[in-house]
Amino acid sequence: MNRLIRSSALTWAFGYVLLGIAALAAFAVPLWYAWNVTIFAGREEILRDDAQRLTEVFAHEGVAGLTAHINARVGLQIAGERTLLLTDGAYRPLAGNLSAWPRGVPAGIGMHAVMADLAGQPTHTLLVQTTFPGGYHLLVGRDLSRFLPLERRFTWGLFGAVTFLFVVGVGGAILMRRRLLARVQGIRQTVSAIMQGDLRHRLPTAKSDDEFDTLSQTLNGMLDHIEHLIRGISNVSNSIAHDLRTPLAELRSRLEELATTRPPAAETFAEIDAAVADVDRVMRIFSALLRLAEIDSGARRSGFVRVDAAAVAAEVVEFYEPAAEQKGVLFSFHSAGEAAVAGDPVLLAQAVSNLIDNSLKSVAERGAISVRVGRRADGAVEIAVADDGPGIADADKPKATERFFRGDTSRGTPGVGLGLSIVDAVAKLHGGVLQLLDNHPGLLAQMVLPVTAARSSR
Amino acid sequence: MKILVVEDNERVARFVTRGLRESGHTVEHAANARDGLFMAASEPHDVIVMDRMLPGDIDGLAIIEALRKSGNRTPILILSALNDVDERIRGLRSGGDDYLTKPFAFGELLARVDALGRRSVPGSGERTLQVGDLRMDLLSRRVTRGSRAITLQPREFKLLEYLMRHANQVVTRTMLLEAVWDYNFDPQTNVVDVHISKLRGKLELDSERPLLRTVRNAGYMLCEHE
Repeated sequence: MNRLIRSSALTWAFGYVLLGIAALAAFAVPLWYAWNVTIFAGREEILRDDAQRLTEVFAHEGVAGLTAHINARVGLQIAGERTLLLTDGAYRPLAGNLSAWPRGVPAGIGMHAVMADLAGQPTHTLLVQTTFPGGYHLLVGRDLSRFLPLERRFTWGLFGAVTFLFVVGVGGAILMRRRLLARVQGIRQTVSAIMQGDLRHRLPTAKSDDEFDTLSQTLNGMLDHIEHLIRGISNVSNSIAHDLRTPLAELRSRLEELATTRPPAAETFAEIDAAVADVDRVMRIFSALLRLAEIDSGARRSGFVRVDAAAVAAEVVEFYEPAAEQKGVLFSFHSAGEAAVAGDPVLLAQAVSNLIDNSLKSVAERGAISVRVGRRADGAVEIAVADDGPGIADADKPKATERFFRGDTSRGTPGVGLGLSIVDAVAKLHGGVLQLLDNHPGLLAQMVLPVTAARSSR
Repeated sequence: MKILVVEDNERVARFVTRGLRESGHTVEHAANARDGLFMAASEPHDVIVMDRMLPGDIDGLAIIEALRKSGNRTPILILSALNDVDERIRGLRSGGDDYLTKPFAFGELLARVDALGRRSVPGSGERTLQVGDLRMDLLSRRVTRGSRAITLQPREFKLLEYLMRHANQVVTRTMLLEAVWDYNFDPQTNVVDVHISKLRGKLELDSERPLLRTVRNAGYMLCEHE
């Protein structure tokens, strides 16, 4: 019962039932009042007027005149509309439509609403009784029972309406509550299943597009997103675990070998240096991950300034020139003047550096790398790094920016598989995208940075 | 040099103090913020190595601020496990002179401590730098070795200037990246090495005495003497 009371559906339904009854009452009470005051009082007045007129007839024309008048009126009127009776002092009828003075009429002049015995049956009547000089009695009356069925019908109608409201309200509430409970139950079961760790569950949705469906669809969207994120996290942690295992395993075996074989000093120191290099590799992975986390958090946006992407790229190109020269790579840079964006100069430099670094690792000796900075028709700044290396297989392109992903073509080259992830994260931080396209042959990696994005994505 | 190390982690402190002592420095160690502040304020040091996170209610940055407010200008190297750019900026803004992220190679720490302890005061009005027979005119931007003129690209000039200002000190690759290129990220490949070898090619002709030495596991050193 407690649960019934606490159900919001029932509370609402009861509220509406009460409201309906109140509305009915607000309608019926004035009506009842008007009926009683206006109609009843009006009827009394008509009767009094009638009695007054007959009294005047008696005063002017005497008993004979009144008798004739009454007989004429009784002959004209519709039966039962008006009760008229003139009697002598001993209540013997002289004229009118009653055969005898009705029983139950109180003595005395005035108005009475009584159950009078009219024409053999008790009738609810409103009577005006007058006595004329000479002992004559006049009775003018009106049958009240004519309106009784109407009043009764009104009352019954009112009660019927209240009962109907109540039954429909409570019944509807119970039905509604049952339906709501069923829907909520479905959601609750799904959510419990999800809480137990199975993220594949989705809330049931009907095609009805009602409030619950909208809610369910929104929640399902949220679940999709959470599942995606969690899968991403578990992928990343799997990859971290996997990628860290290799250098750590090497380190471990190196140290263990040192401890067991105890080689001469020179060799020991060489091994220690190698061990330090192993640790450095692990640290490198961690710093790259931390940098990624820093970029992803979006905190760097607060430090955005106006940056000339062309100048940033030119500096990075200059930085890499000797390295390219050493490998005999044809390294070219083109820019169409200043390309200002709102951004973080260090991150943009790192992104361009990563792209060039990737290309430099992948191209063969005497290969070619070209860096271009330009503006698109829509004003977006485009930083493109193209090479003629092996490129990235189409199937691998969507995965290339995932953390620790290394395509077949990049296996065997140095690196930890986070370079493109960082570029992608930097592009996203600036409201842009990283596109990996085919350079026929080779890779064309371009960062597209919308000019206003940095401001609008704040 | 007399160096104060304020570091609460025992192992790191031992590693740092031992290494600095072996390199010929006098080292004092404070294991908490109060001792650190007291020691830094009570006697002069050439360099202070300050851990950013210290136990107790005062952290490293607060000590640095307190020292700077009291007029202490000792160069300070901040050690921190926080590698965010913002943290770095906060550290340097509080009055630190250099920022090194843990974990670090000892060579890196030593090189930075040396650089801080012996850095020439900027704006001291020098017009030329000289290391052995290598001369750099900062105004006319001319570089000569003996009587031979050396033509350098602007960036090579900046690189050589930094090396000459830190002559006879080890300069690490990260220090060069930060000072010459203003990059504080890891460029993955040994790009700095390539720049150095190119510069070396211009500085040292076959017949000449080598000037720019590679220090294993640490970086480079521009040497005046053999």
